[in-house]
Amino acid sequence: MGDIGIILRQCALRHWRLAWRQQALLLLILALGTAVHVAMRLANQAAMEGFGKFTETLTRDTDWTLRAPAGPLREEWLREMRLALDPLPVTLLPVMEATIVPAISSSQTTIGSLPTWRLVGMDLVALQNLRSSISLPASMEQTQDGDVFAGEAMAKAQRWKPGDVIEVVINDEVAALRLGSLIPTLPNLPAPPDNLLLMDLPALQKRLQRNGEVDRIEVLAPNSETFPTLRAETRERMEKIAAGRWQVLGGEDRRALADGMTAAFRLNLTILSLLALLVGCYLMFQALDGVVIRRREEIAILRSLGMTAGTIRKAFLLEAALLGLLAGLAGVVIGWLGAQTAVKGVAATMTALYGASSASSAALPASEWIIGVALSIATSLVAAWLPASTAASVPPAQALGRHAVVWQGSSPWRAEFIGLLLAIAAVLLSQLPPWRSGAMRIPLGAYLAALTWLLGASLLAGGLLRLFRVPSQAIATVAFSHLRRPSLRHRFAVAALTSAVAMTTGMAIMIASFDGTMRSWINRSMSADIYLSSAGAQSASSTHQIRSITVEAIRALPEVSEIASVNYAVVQLPDGPSSILGSDMAFAERHDLHAWLQKPPADWWQSDETLGVMNESLATRLNRGVGDTLEVPTAIGVQRLRIVGMYADYGNERGSVLVPAERFREWFGHSDAWRVALMLKPGSDEEAMSKKLQASYPGLSVFTQSHLRNEALRIFRQTFAVTYALEAVGVVVAVAGLGLALAGLMLDRRSDLTTLRAMGFSKRDLARACAMEGFGLGLAGVVAGGLSGLWLGWLLIARVNKQAFGWTLSFSFPWMQVLVLCIAVLLVGTLVAAFVGRWSSTLKSEQEE
Amino acid sequence: MKRLLAFLLLCTCCSAFEQAKPGRVFEFPRDQGSHPEFRTEWWYITGHLDSDKGRRFGFQITFFRQAAEDGTTHLHLAHSALLDAATGRFLHQERLHREGWDAFASTDKLDVRNGNWTLKMNGESMTAKATIHSEALLDLTLTPSKPLVFFGKEGVSRKGASEQAASHYLTFPRIAVTGSVRVGSEEHVVNGQAWMDHEISSSQLDEGQVGWDWASMQLNDGTEVMVYRMRRADGSSDPHGTTLAWIDKAGAVRHIGSDAFTWTAGEKWTSPKTKASYPIRPVIEAEGKVFRLVPLKEEQELHGEVTGLSYWEGACDVQDADGKVIGRAFLELAGYSGDLTEHLRGR
Repeated sequence: MGDIGIILRQCALRHWRLAWRQQALLLLILALGTAVHVAMRLANQAAMEGFGKFTETLTRDTDWTLRAPAGPLREEWLREMRLALDPLPVTLLPVMEATIVPAISSSQTTIGSLPTWRLVGMDLVALQNLRSSISLPASMEQTQDGDVFAGEAMAKAQRWKPGDVIEVVINDEVAALRLGSLIPTLPNLPAPPDNLLLMDLPALQKRLQRNGEVDRIEVLAPNSETFPTLRAETRERMEKIAAGRWQVLGGEDRRALADGMTAAFRLNLTILSLLALLVGCYLMFQALDGVVIRRREEIAILRSLGMTAGTIRKAFLLEAALLGLLAGLAGVVIGWLGAQTAVKGVAATMTALYGASSASSAALPASEWIIGVALSIATSLVAAWLPASTAASVPPAQALGRHAVVWQGSSPWRAEFIGLLLAIAAVLLSQLPPWRSGAMRIPLGAYLAALTWLLGASLLAGGLLRLFRVPSQAIATVAFSHLRRPSLRHRFAVAALTSAVAMTTGMAIMIASFDGTMRSWINRSMSADIYLSSAGAQSASSTHQIRSITVEAIRALPEVSEIASVNYAVVQLPDGPSSILGSDMAFAERHDLHAWLQKPPADWWQSDETLGVMNESLATRLNRGVGDTLEVPTAIGVQRLRIVGMYADYGNERGSVLVPAERFREWFGHSDAWRVALMLKPGSDEEAMSKKLQASYPGLSVFTQSHLRNEALRIFRQTFAVTYALEAVGVVVAVAGLGLALAGLMLDRRSDLTTLRAMGFSKRDLARACAMEGFGLGLAGVVAGGLSGLWLGWLLIARVNKQAFGWTLSFSFPWMQVLVLCIAVLLVGTLVAAFVGRWSSTLKSEQEE
Repeated sequence: MKRLLAFLLLCTCCSAFEQAKPGRVFEFPRDQGSHPEFRTEWWYITGHLDSDKGRRFGFQITFFRQAAEDGTTHLHLAHSALLDAATGRFLHQERLHREGWDAFASTDKLDVRNGNWTLKMNGESMTAKATIHSEALLDLTLTPSKPLVFFGKEGVSRKGASEQAASHYLTFPRIAVTGSVRVGSEEHVVNGQAWMDHEISSSQLDEGQVGWDWASMQLNDGTEVMVYRMRRADGSSDPHGTTLAWIDKAGAVRHIGSDAFTWTAGEKWTSPKTKASYPIRPVIEAEGKVFRLVPLKEEQELHGEVTGLSYWEGACDVQDADGKVIGRAFLELAGYSGDLTEHLRGR
């Protein structure tokens, strides 16, 4: 350790001191790679936590939750449950829950702009029995029937005080709720969620006109010395009498459900951040490689003084680890800061896709410090291995004489051969089916194919450099002669650029294909004049409905020519939740609303047989198709239907089955509407009608056709906001890598530069030569990256999306976007190279840094 | 505690509910059930158990029904308690539910429930099941060994000067109990004797009363004694709300008034939890007989986890003047933990 310590002190730290700006830049770049990964992880976790909070109640984890596979639970079943449980000391807590949003008229038509709160109904009298294990309103004095209760944190954030009246949208109505009192945060009890308003159960049932119903039953059945098997016995007894009316879910099941719902999205983010880290790894290699070059003389002296190759290698690896440590620490902090912004985007996306997530900030747990720093150190060590080996193998005499043979890696042909093998492996991997676990389908083969393809393309890309012809013009000769015989450093610079451009191009193709497919789907399926939903329908998990009485009142308006409702119910299929939609099929047929992938027979909805059509997501998830039968739980028991058609639907990945409205009413006992579409009579003005409806029904969101289409696209684009940020990071890192690679090359060629200057090359000439070399590297990266990005785009569309979400997308190539990207990379690359060239022309052959 | 809910009636008008009046004809089993036309009602079982392993327990399982002012909804309160005399461990739990799927009282027969606690009459016997905080399970069969008795004059038990301060007070004074008690991992086969009150009223307390002392004694000679006194703020007994009833071996009841017996408070015990001082060793003297009540354990205070109202209700031995054990008793002392009336008004 003594020798290593001397090397670190005399070489590494001295260099760090002398060239602190470069070291700081290097640290920053290294930190950036870690930061991206950390930010994604943290944002992801925060959004997931927020998602979890949405299913939380005021209690600690309950032992079981009972839910109906479809529709609500009947209150009368509770007595049956109690009798079945006698005499076990089990607490049954019926819960009713509705989503509500604050009634703010100005932002009613921007979906997702309002916070979604939960209005939870629990029996406040029965809850008194759990005073020691549940957060309850501090006082029931001065409260009135129908009051709501909020946690202190929520009241503080909203500036509420007891007695205040809160205007909210419940279903399609604006309602005034009086805040009775606050729920304090007590030691040893979970703090009341900051998106929850509590109401007495009977009062909420009355307000929602849902007497006799509850949404779920929380069950407390902890084991004790007297009842050592209470929890298991409770489950057994509940399942024994369920007869398909309810499911018994444990904490694990609830978490698995939330996990399963968002797994694909989170995996996508993780994979993307890992790809960003891969590009970062190239960069680290280049930076550390530069360090070895700059210190070659010192290494030679140390070797001459008797230091072994092993000691030199260890010292470099230790230095890399130190750099990794510092960069990791900085990266975690930068990542955490970035996560504060990213979490909002990720949470908004998760809300739009899966349900409400209340997260607005990301925490920084100790585990993230450890993971971030460990990842940074590991990546540094991997990146440093080759430079450290190069350093260790520096022949002292040659190095001191400036004639060192730079390690060139394996034969270029061999690298390209491996690249070709990897590309073939990628094509084969892309053919693998997705990995299935319950409702989750993870396109593991496709992800591996993407990674293998990127590595293969990176290795192959170096070969492009050899295609450059050396022109006769002197400056160009200097530039292109290096490209004709590319060093390892050249090849790495091109590899990094190739990866970044390929990733960006692939993502751009996927987004453009999505965009194009969405547009055509939106144009087709959103062809009514006006659309209505509850103003509270801010997310996929919203329970807001438009009451049938409201629908009938609107139907009677003189401007309305046709009206069609979509009914909606969530049901639990064996592998997860799905939705059953009821719709006026004749209306849909008349206006050609469905994008059929497999068209059902004409007038199928008039058949006496129970028929339905399913969307592509569900077909993929369940591995079913047209002609198959499907058993769906409903409020009147399990129903069997035959699938007669399949349609494209990019609204959700949960999957849905569409049945005629009459059938839905029969199954679920109501015809409240989730969405309502209006066709106006000729001559009626959409905007005027929209304003009229908005004025008459303040609890509704009213969209004209164009407005809804824009909103749908806005939400869709919001979903990809995080992806854009990752792309930008990839490109910035790759261009920075190009600059670093060139700087390393120039340092390596200091004596050549001195010679060239002596031969009459001006600083400008040297800058131009370097810029040309940079342009050449950039061009190779852009061409290889663009071409491999094309295949990557196909992979993302035809494999990743299809396997994960079950969506068929039509291929679109965003020419302009890719062209702009390529030009930008070339321009920036050339400019950075010119800057490096100008800097290198001032280097003295004997100068240390 | 059995009269706890009745305190709520102090401040409210009771005109919407029926009053306890002389001459009411009871029909059974219907009148063992609930009477929602009255505001308040309770089924109150206290007793003593002996196990096959030689252990002795005192227990309490009680159900209350209280109508809202408009009579449309009802609240159901319940208490259960168990004293393990050998270990001194005293377990108790209070529970409150609104009427519905988890708490009800049948109007046809004795069938009351509060969560998983139940009391039902099947023919001549009753079954009572209750748990205490997942720490104990009582599963008992209760068979009256003496006929039902009615306290008071013409079936009306007076609690104060006002005619409205009265109840219908029905009691099984001696009930044979068999069954099991599970505490921790130990299961005990038990038998013993219990006392069960069923009281029905709409307004039975008077202004000025701050609490009450009550005791039931099952004497070894086959007779029983029930005694209560309503206390005023100055500690004196309200003569209109104080009585002692002798029940002979055949079940005939004979009342004597407050001037014919004495209740001497005796030594006090102060609760470490509520700081309330309870006179837990009273001496009752009537017609030349002396009854000394000696609690099996001092700490038999129920803390009122839900209502916040504490009282003392415990298993006792009955000793004569010479200290000889002549029977077993249950003693109830309420209104010693702060100003009960004010407390109830505040809630």
